[in-house]
Amino acid sequence: MFFGSHKPLYWRSQRLCAGLLCAGLLVVGGALAGSGGAMRLEQLPQQWRDDRGAPLALTELLGKRVVVAMAYTHCRTICPATIAELKRMQRLLDARGEQASFVIVGFDPDADDPASWHQYRINHHLERSNWHFLTGSRQATRQFAHQLGFDFWTYDTHVMHESRLVVFDAQGQWRGAVHPASANWPALL
Amino acid sequence: MRRFAINLVGSRLGAALLLGLLIGTMPSRALGAERAATIKELQQKLDQSLKAIQALTQRVRDLEARQSGAPVAASPATGESGASSAPEPTRLEAVEQQLEQLETANASRSNDETGMPLHGFADVGAGTHNPINPDLKGFFVGNLDFYLTPRLSDRGRALFEMNTEVGSDGAVGVDLERAQIGYQLADQATLWLGRFHSPYGYVNTALHHGAWINNSVRRPGFLQFEDNGGIVPAHTVGLWLTGAPRIGSGKLQYDAYVGNSQQIVDGVLDMRNAGNAHGNLIVGGRLGYLFNAGAAEGLTLGVHAFSAHIGDNAVPADMTRVLSYGGYAVYDTEQWENIAELYLFDNEDLSGATGTHHSHAGFVQLGYRASWGVPYARYEITSLDQADNYFAAQTTGYSYHRSALGLRFDLSADAAVKLELADTQLTDRSRDQYSEGLMQYAIRF
Repeated sequence: MFFGSHKPLYWRSQRLCAGLLCAGLLVVGGALAGSGGAMRLEQLPQQWRDDRGAPLALTELLGKRVVVAMAYTHCRTICPATIAELKRMQRLLDARGEQASFVIVGFDPDADDPASWHQYRINHHLERSNWHFLTGSRQATRQFAHQLGFDFWTYDTHVMHESRLVVFDAQGQWRGAVHPASANWPALL
Repeated sequence: MRRFAINLVGSRLGAALLLGLLIGTMPSRALGAERAATIKELQQKLDQSLKAIQALTQRVRDLEARQSGAPVAASPATGESGASSAPEPTRLEAVEQQLEQLETANASRSNDETGMPLHGFADVGAGTHNPINPDLKGFFVGNLDFYLTPRLSDRGRALFEMNTEVGSDGAVGVDLERAQIGYQLADQATLWLGRFHSPYGYVNTALHHGAWINNSVRRPGFLQFEDNGGIVPAHTVGLWLTGAPRIGSGKLQYDAYVGNSQQIVDGVLDMRNAGNAHGNLIVGGRLGYLFNAGAAEGLTLGVHAFSAHIGDNAVPADMTRVLSYGGYAVYDTEQWENIAELYLFDNEDLSGATGTHHSHAGFVQLGYRASWGVPYARYEITSLDQADNYFAAQTTGYSYHRSALGLRFDLSADAAVKLELADTQLTDRSRDQYSEGLMQYAIRF
């Protein structure tokens, strides 16, 4: 009788907990998607592969500030400018003696597999270990972009997108988002 | 004796009952102890769950308050006393209520995000000649191109491109330029069925209907889309297998396709959306290698070919076996966009006795991606045998050569202005020469 009266309670609470956790994350994630707002790094999709094919969760990068951008390897205009700004950020941080992780997530996982990104970082001399070129599933990529406000769509092999950088602090808390070409990004570091 | 017997039976019965009771109660006692331990463990887990729910609920409140700008309420106690301060059913009901509210909010939010996003391109312009019809001049409306890519399962693919365009006669028409549904058979093998851009050369599958995507004002004349004067079948209705497996540091790009043989209807190539009367097929393929390392990074070299039986609607109808083959080279880097394509034709007259005719067409375009814009230069030339029914039956099947200089300025990430000066000489059907100054304003959305 005693056991019988607690079993439903136990299961109810378990379901509630799981349900509330999921719903809470979805709601909070969705609510903060447009503006970024109080988005945290751990609320983003976590299943990625780096340019060597190894799995990498963004939470592994906690402890240092994280600079996030999106790109595709055959972009000839916007992405090269974004990468150039990231390099400038790296130089500034080096000059300050500070550390950061740079995360570039691929817009088009169909076209850009880890090997493509590996070649890309070789071609662009981006071989520092704190730079991470990540590939995910199409769904994870869309969700990641939506949560961080990276608006994009694909036109065959072309990716229509704009330039954007998002910065998280060492605790994974959203610091802000800027257009890389603007002069505002040093304020986020 | 009887009493003794009864006592004996009674004592034996008592002993048996006692034994049975002992045997019976031993596992139940053990089970009872196990249950007690389980219940205690469950209670602990329940308390932990409730604490987690409370913490999460408070965090949601904090975040919502932070978003709305309202002051953040102090966190309620989440410790032992807090967990036991209210009867559990009441707390659970409250949590259930909150969960329902959250689910409702999330459902409405999801509804806001459902549906297929509508994207596309548009362009307008002005010129001393119309870029499609040199007999016209002044301002012109180009294309309003809608592009739809429904999201399917992981391996499902779909692509639709609906273009509202102004033809060379000035009439507005709507065309389903591409309607292809595909399935990704393997990582580097996708099979498409429907109407697609015939995979030959580079331009036809890289620079689609959206003008914004093209650094130049227009495609080379002979590679325009059919209703804009193109003389090579730009669209095919059929089956297309494509992929780009990695070979070495680069990629081997392959395409194989089969579809309805096109027909020349009133001087214009028609891709026979609903099939053709004779059942003849166009069969073709393309093979290219994209270098992705070293000095050749960004260079693609490839070959392409197709064969088709293409007739016209003359009376009696002509029928030509069109055999086209050639090659292409692209050097596409962050600084350069250089493109060259060559098409050779060995067309056999199947309805008359004029034999086989040889023609050729090609172009070279050099573009430089400067920080302020993309200047480009292009030279294109065709030499088309006018005794070949395939070219003679096409309104724009004449030979010409054209030189062009142009410039693209990107006003923003989604808008570009392009300028072009061109000189065109017609060299066989009629001998004519004209110069053009064109301006195009192209956007994506």
